[in-house]
Amino acid sequence: MTELFWVVWAIVLGVTLSFALGGFAALRPRWAGILVASGAGAAGGIGLSALFYYIGALRGSETLAIAMELTAICGGAFLAWMRRWPRTAEASGSGGLKLTFAGAVALLLVIVTLAFAAAWQSNPQGNWDAWAIWNMRARYLAAGDGFAARAWSPVLGAASHPEYPLLLSSFIASCWAFSHSASELAPIATGYVFFLALLAMVTGGVAALRGPVLGLAAGLVLLASPALLREAPAQYADVPLACYMAGAMVLAMLDRPVFAGILAGFAAWTKDEGLLFLAIFLVVSAVIKRRAAILAVAGALPVALVAVAFKLSLPRMATSFTGVSGGGLASRAADFSRAGIILAAFGREIAAMSTSWYHPVLPLIALGVACGLERERLRAAAYSGSVALLLLLGYFGIFLVTGYDLSGNSIRRSAGCWSRSGRYLS
Amino acid sequence: MNRATAGLSAAAVLCLCGALLFYNEETTYERQNADPYMVAAQAERLAPLAAAVPRDAVLGYITDAPGGPADTAMFTAAEYTLAPRLIERSANHEWVLGNFTHPGDFFAYAKDGLMLQRDFGNGVVLYRRAGKP
Repeated sequence: MTELFWVVWAIVLGVTLSFALGGFAALRPRWAGILVASGAGAAGGIGLSALFYYIGALRGSETLAIAMELTAICGGAFLAWMRRWPRTAEASGSGGLKLTFAGAVALLLVIVTLAFAAAWQSNPQGNWDAWAIWNMRARYLAAGDGFAARAWSPVLGAASHPEYPLLLSSFIASCWAFSHSASELAPIATGYVFFLALLAMVTGGVAALRGPVLGLAAGLVLLASPALLREAPAQYADVPLACYMAGAMVLAMLDRPVFAGILAGFAAWTKDEGLLFLAIFLVVSAVIKRRAAILAVAGALPVALVAVAFKLSLPRMATSFTGVSGGGLASRAADFSRAGIILAAFGREIAAMSTSWYHPVLPLIALGVACGLERERLRAAAYSGSVALLLLLGYFGIFLVTGYDLSGNSIRRSAGCWSRSGRYLS
Repeated sequence: MNRATAGLSAAAVLCLCGALLFYNEETTYERQNADPYMVAAQAERLAPLAAAVPRDAVLGYITDAPGGPADTAMFTAAEYTLAPRLIERSANHEWVLGNFTHPGDFFAYAKDGLMLQRDFGNGVVLYRRAGKP
């Protein structure tokens, strides 16, 4: 159980910093600000803990990681105390509908948590990628005695993807190493916290941008998205990635560019798809939100540099898009049958987001009919829609020009990854 | 009821249906697919071997499993269980894990300087290269 202490510790670290530095007290309604600050804080705290542990592991010192966390948490607590949130009265509108929707969010959260519990009970070690990639590499990182480098050793084998970024593995390793235990509790709790953080940021963010009822409706849509819900108890890196991507977009639209950049940087340190997202996020921000883009770059830079340095330090490996051979690139790019296979895979994956007759696009259509698209929202829609669309085009382009096996698992996962995370950006 | 309220209500009802359908799908799936790769069982199966091999070892690997998903699952689950030891699909190491699916003549694999060190049962066999301390 002591692993859970370190999960909570990371959340406290991040939430303290986000309450102190994020300026979320200005958001209205107040509960939306609290949700965004808590979600961004939890996700950011886990990212920060993972980063500190990775740096500590490289230096062969767990104590260094704890010292860095302690310094950050003390600094954050001091700043949070200095900038206590003001207590202000709020106007309350559409009270009945708001309460009904809040109740519905709570009910759906209970239902999906019960479903997750069934998965945690029957597969506590998670699904394939969890134990074959993320948790396995966490075991090497947690082992101490200079074993950390085995987490990216080519001997590890292609099935364990030693070239993948290390945020999730590093965080789970920190919980295991500090608690001197390697039970499944840490990855289970981590997956659930990322899911809750995603839910909090999207619900709170949309509430602050478009009003409380629409915010709660966005939360409901997330809580009824089977493709996303299937991944949460699987202990994969897809939900953490979705959390960082959606969080970065929400914070960018709430004019918190530094925090948005930090979360986008963490996305790049979570999965290869996050590197692509970071690049697209910064380019689109530079075009649409010019001043904010510089601050976003400043926020993203430290973690992005760690991610890029990790990638560049690896021996050339065949399955990462940064290491894929350029041989035959032109012929693959001109291969229309390959493009057809990729499009069909994306189509299948988007269709497979359903369960039984229900597809999560249905409530989105209902919401679209209810709210329409207001003219003044076009800029925000263009911003988030551009990132989502370019992300999809990026995945398509990578599969088109690289030598990935299109019959394999990776295209299914990438298409699925987009459908889980990218779609919600828009 | 205006259009906005009707649309929002319809979305909420649809989401409730979606969550309930997901609950039904997930609980049914999990009942039928508990630990399909038997990862949890590997901890007990490979524990005696883990106790006999140093933590910093890079183990070789031999198996009678035909190539394919089952073979990959066996190999990867062994790697996960025995971490921080590394495992490489080769017999050219001091320590070699024999990970077998059927009982058989495990001595037949002890060749080219490889000796059967210990048969732990359940298809887990430890080989060691001759001449190593």
